[in-house]
Amino acid sequence: MFKWLSEFYRVAKNYIVFALLLSFSFFLISTNNNIHTRGLQTIGLLTTSYLEDIVKSVVNYFSLSSRNEELERENAQLVDLTAKIRRALLENGQLRSMLKLRSEITAPLIPANVIGRSTEEGKYFLTLDAGEKDNVYIGDPVVSGEGLVGTVIATSGNFCMVRTLLDNDSRIAAKLFNASADGIIVSGEFGELSMKNVSRRYAISRGDIVETSSLSSLVPPGIVIGSVSSAADETGNIFKKIKIQPAVDFSSLSVAFIMHYSRSSEASGLEEKELKKKR
Amino acid sequence: MTKKLLGYFALGMAAIVLQKFLDNFAAIDMVSPQLVILFVVFVALREGQLFGICNGFIAGFFHDLLVTHFLGVTSFIAVIASFVAGFFYKESDVELAAKTFNFIWISAISLFVSQFFALPIVSAGELNYFYIFLKFTLGTTAYTSVFAMIIVFINGRKYV
Repeated sequence: MFKWLSEFYRVAKNYIVFALLLSFSFFLISTNNNIHTRGLQTIGLLTTSYLEDIVKSVVNYFSLSSRNEELERENAQLVDLTAKIRRALLENGQLRSMLKLRSEITAPLIPANVIGRSTEEGKYFLTLDAGEKDNVYIGDPVVSGEGLVGTVIATSGNFCMVRTLLDNDSRIAAKLFNASADGIIVSGEFGELSMKNVSRRYAISRGDIVETSSLSSLVPPGIVIGSVSSAADETGNIFKKIKIQPAVDFSSLSVAFIMHYSRSSEASGLEEKELKKKR
Repeated sequence: MTKKLLGYFALGMAAIVLQKFLDNFAAIDMVSPQLVILFVVFVALREGQLFGICNGFIAGFFHDLLVTHFLGVTSFIAVIASFVAGFFYKESDVELAAKTFNFIWISAISLFVSQFFALPIVSAGELNYFYIFLKFTLGTTAYTSVFAMIIVFINGRKYV
């Protein structure tokens, strides 16, 4: 019997093993949703994930160069986009304040873009793209949403040149809003303005608003020039030393309005007449 | 013997890793070349039917564990493929079967038979058996045969 069995096994061992392994495979298939094989499957899944991670990191290493290049390009585009957005925000702010200004001022306003800046040897001029064809004349005041920019000093057909408050030759009559003290605004140091001829008897504090005076024959009264950044008394001087922070940021100004302003001819005529009488 | 077993184990693991890679990058409509089956056919042709069947089961089990995560399917296919390939084993002519163009048609037959018997399992509820047969049985056999051809060209062209 044993001999027969061993003979049978010798002849049919391949088939027996085949049948056993096939059956075991079936058994494994049937236990796939079984809780006992779930642990084994989890181990397999974790091992594969780990191996895939390694393979991915190797693949990523080789693609790093092109990815880096791609990111650099994207970064450059984003920097450009950020600059454009910043510029747009700035312009938006300026335009908003100019719209507000336009509703407050009754005098005709001519909008213009700043197309040039000349800053050398104490000169500070702006070139605007509005000229005689737009009814711009020499002496016209120029304002932005923040306040007074300067006055027109030269015109051509399509352009005009503006002397800003920062120019060394600029002189504008101004008034301290709180103290009701009049003075002259001239250019100061480091992008600031200076207010001259204000008597020491006035109490002036930091932050006081300075605006154009009704005494000025060049600009209408009530336009903001800036705010007091410091005010001090000097020994031996009857006037205060006042520094003004301009309301307008001249370095980033991109749009402005040119105003038509002419002082009442009746008032000017009366003044001239009285002066002649005294002589 | 141990050295040989270790060699087969390394080759089998390499086949499984490559299989995973091919499943991800070389699959056409979910049909990918079955490198693991090629490996078990190769072993069966070199070592005989019994060794081949056992090797097929182990390789299939590892493949299921690491790649398909569905235990038993590849074991089932690989055991049948090894069993079929074992009939072409000739002790006196091992190199001829395993390293010549004979390998291509032997592996194609083994794969076809094993995939055919695995149809009810891989169909996964799909009732159109003819479509599954065309796609998985014939498709996989044809695609894998191309790879078998490449392996023969690389490995055994000196014997042709």
